[in-house]
Amino acid sequence: MKKVLFLILTIIFLGSVPALTGQAVAASSIVVAVDSPPRMMNPHGSDADANLSIMANFFDGLMQRKGSEGTLAPALALRYEHPDLLTWTFYLRKGVKFHNGNPFNAEDVKFSFERLSDPKVSEFINTGKTIASIEIIDDYTVSIKTKHPIPWFANNMHQIYMMDKESTESRTVGEVQQVPIGTGAYKFVEWVKGSYVKMVANEEYWEGAPPIKNVELRPIKEASTRYAALVSGQAELVSGVPVELYDKLVKNPKLQVINKPARRSIFLALGNKPESPWNDIRVRKAMYMAINEDEIIEKIMRGHASPAAQIPDPPTIGYNEGIKRLPYNPEMSKKLLKEAGCENGFEITLTGPNDRYVQDEKIAEAVVKYLAKVGIKAKLDVKPKAIFFPEVFQGKLDFYLIGWFDGTFDMGRTYFKLIHTRDKEKGFGSLNGAHFSNPDLDIVLEATASMVDQEARKKVLQYINKLATAENIACIPLHYQQDIYAIQKGKGIKFQPRPDRWVVFKEISK
Amino acid sequence: MIVLLAVSLICYIIFRSSGDPAISMAGQYATFQEIEEVRRVFGLDKPFYIQYVRFITNALKGNFGNSFVNKVPALPLILERLPATVELAMSAIVIAFVLGVGLGVLVSLKPYALRNRFIMAGSLVNISMPTFLTGILLIMVFGVYLKILPPFGRGETVTIGFWRTGFLTLSGVTHLILPAFTLGMYQLAVLLRLTRAGMREVLTEDYIKTAWSKGLSPLKVIFKHALRNALIPVVTMTGLQFGELIAFSFVTELIFQWPGSGNLLLTSIYEQDQPVIVTYIMLAALVILSINILVDILYAILNPKIRYD
Repeated sequence: MKKVLFLILTIIFLGSVPALTGQAVAASSIVVAVDSPPRMMNPHGSDADANLSIMANFFDGLMQRKGSEGTLAPALALRYEHPDLLTWTFYLRKGVKFHNGNPFNAEDVKFSFERLSDPKVSEFINTGKTIASIEIIDDYTVSIKTKHPIPWFANNMHQIYMMDKESTESRTVGEVQQVPIGTGAYKFVEWVKGSYVKMVANEEYWEGAPPIKNVELRPIKEASTRYAALVSGQAELVSGVPVELYDKLVKNPKLQVINKPARRSIFLALGNKPESPWNDIRVRKAMYMAINEDEIIEKIMRGHASPAAQIPDPPTIGYNEGIKRLPYNPEMSKKLLKEAGCENGFEITLTGPNDRYVQDEKIAEAVVKYLAKVGIKAKLDVKPKAIFFPEVFQGKLDFYLIGWFDGTFDMGRTYFKLIHTRDKEKGFGSLNGAHFSNPDLDIVLEATASMVDQEARKKVLQYINKLATAENIACIPLHYQQDIYAIQKGKGIKFQPRPDRWVVFKEISK
Repeated sequence: MIVLLAVSLICYIIFRSSGDPAISMAGQYATFQEIEEVRRVFGLDKPFYIQYVRFITNALKGNFGNSFVNKVPALPLILERLPATVELAMSAIVIAFVLGVGLGVLVSLKPYALRNRFIMAGSLVNISMPTFLTGILLIMVFGVYLKILPPFGRGETVTIGFWRTGFLTLSGVTHLILPAFTLGMYQLAVLLRLTRAGMREVLTEDYIKTAWSKGLSPLKVIFKHALRNALIPVVTMTGLQFGELIAFSFVTELIFQWPGSGNLLLTSIYEQDQPVIVTYIMLAALVILSINILVDILYAILNPKIRYD
């Protein structure tokens, strides 16, 4: 019995060896490995970039973000008008068909926007609830009224995907979660959860059929396995290459590594709670100056980050060139602490996620050590993001590491979340977890809500940015991350990373 | 039944006191009111005991609630991924049992031979090496440097009814080898040591000496007389381990990106998908319980002296 089993095992073992190695992939197909699995095939059900990125291949929004700059371009809407503060009129593209053959028209747009406010199927309820009414003017014109002015409304339209009214209503919620029917450049073939998502080119795509015909998307969560997939040739394009493996990959002659400065900045949120030592601006300055960011970038990020002096990145409205980082100067830091009467230090807890940003836990560890050098007794408390983020929402924390970028390229919406005084009535400041508060800033910020003129907006948001970051030190900015991708050389893959880290297959050719 | 109830209650308490799923379900730009609404819609605003009682009554009807993330029933979601885990665990246990018992017998016959000392030392290394390290080493050696085995995934599969199997395709079987070895490695070492200990004890017994002196063939003595008696603790152990392999294969599944239910559990924990986590743990408890019962039955077959009255 045992021998027979042995024999069978040996035969399987030997017989399989030769067939394993080169799995040739046809010219117009590609295998892409990403770091996080799709959560669902419902385009409104997850606002995580990892899911939106995959959905961008099956669905289109009214607008889209194109190429390496992320410029806003027409998609299912040819153009839009903004006749008054509350109204947005979209003129739709004609002749677009969903993958099931249904034509795309104003009914679908109305249906899709209404679906946003249903918490059972949508994580975009914030967008959904700001809409007062949706009016169908004719088959290809839709007019949307918002409850209050939202200057960045159109900027967000690349994330709001259009669904087919008929097939979404006729199928169960569960089916809609599993099988996407959109207008996108790729049609859904198969999703084996945890294994792969297969898709095939939509030959009737309104922008023209995409160059690559078959795509296999493989989520691989474990970094070293992703590395193995790349080196063994089983994946041709990998996103989310860990910085620890960067040097190894660069040395590999078969691979090309692509760096892209990412939009996301990493910063330490610091409030100004009354009666806390850090209510004193000098203490906040001292903490800022105690942190050696250059060393963090060099040692922890291994050079794959650039220093940040503020939260927004340069293309975002509200980015202020005039803001400079405070220099690293522990002596000055000690002096400031002394002036503020804190020469004996104080205790503070630095909280942070350990599974969200590049090297997040290590950065937090380093910050704690830098603070200790100037006499501040910082305690480290890192935890999984699923526990960390709710604590930020609940306002339980004093000091925490977090990252941010604004998908609309306009800091207006973000500042209402991050630095407006926490106000449950108005719904502002829900991510201002360290209780930063400045009444002047709140007034100016609320005034921007109805400001549509882009130049004026820019000036005011830049002012707010300066007020918050440079004058009040509501946070200690650290750095902008870099996204790292690797592709197999010699296969003619043309790939340009996007600023939002999405991998949109119609932009890749081979 | 009582065990299952206790398990479910403990899970429920743990997950209710850690984090708030409503916040992540409302989206990153949600306001406080919107989060409250989500909580209401999913019944998360109700007091704890009401939620628990509702869960139990639904569970008795076979409805374990909908996943917060996928919005589809949690039980089918897990069952869909279970075949991959069961196949992986089965392969691992077969490898562990066959090699473990085989090598165990081999070692027990000549405990002091050099080759056998090597095997014993190797098994010690195996027991002490954590699974993720074994997995990464195997991937690096066979997948990256030698390039003879695929480093991750499940390969091509064939669907028979609801069961998606990787046993029937070459690529499926080759994809299975590394993860199955990784998963079974620890078990292999344990079974080896157990078999060796049992065999060495049994081989000194009088009836074995009698068997030798009767002139029976070595095969008959070793396998029929000695091994059968040494096997009882080994079978117990194998049974217990099999349940554990199914329930706790997630480390191996993570490393090899194996699309099994352990992988689903990990993702669900990261995303605080409580209905899936609770259902998974209940299911795992059920599997382990039923395997224990099966092992008790096997006992009786192996050793007719054991009777359950």
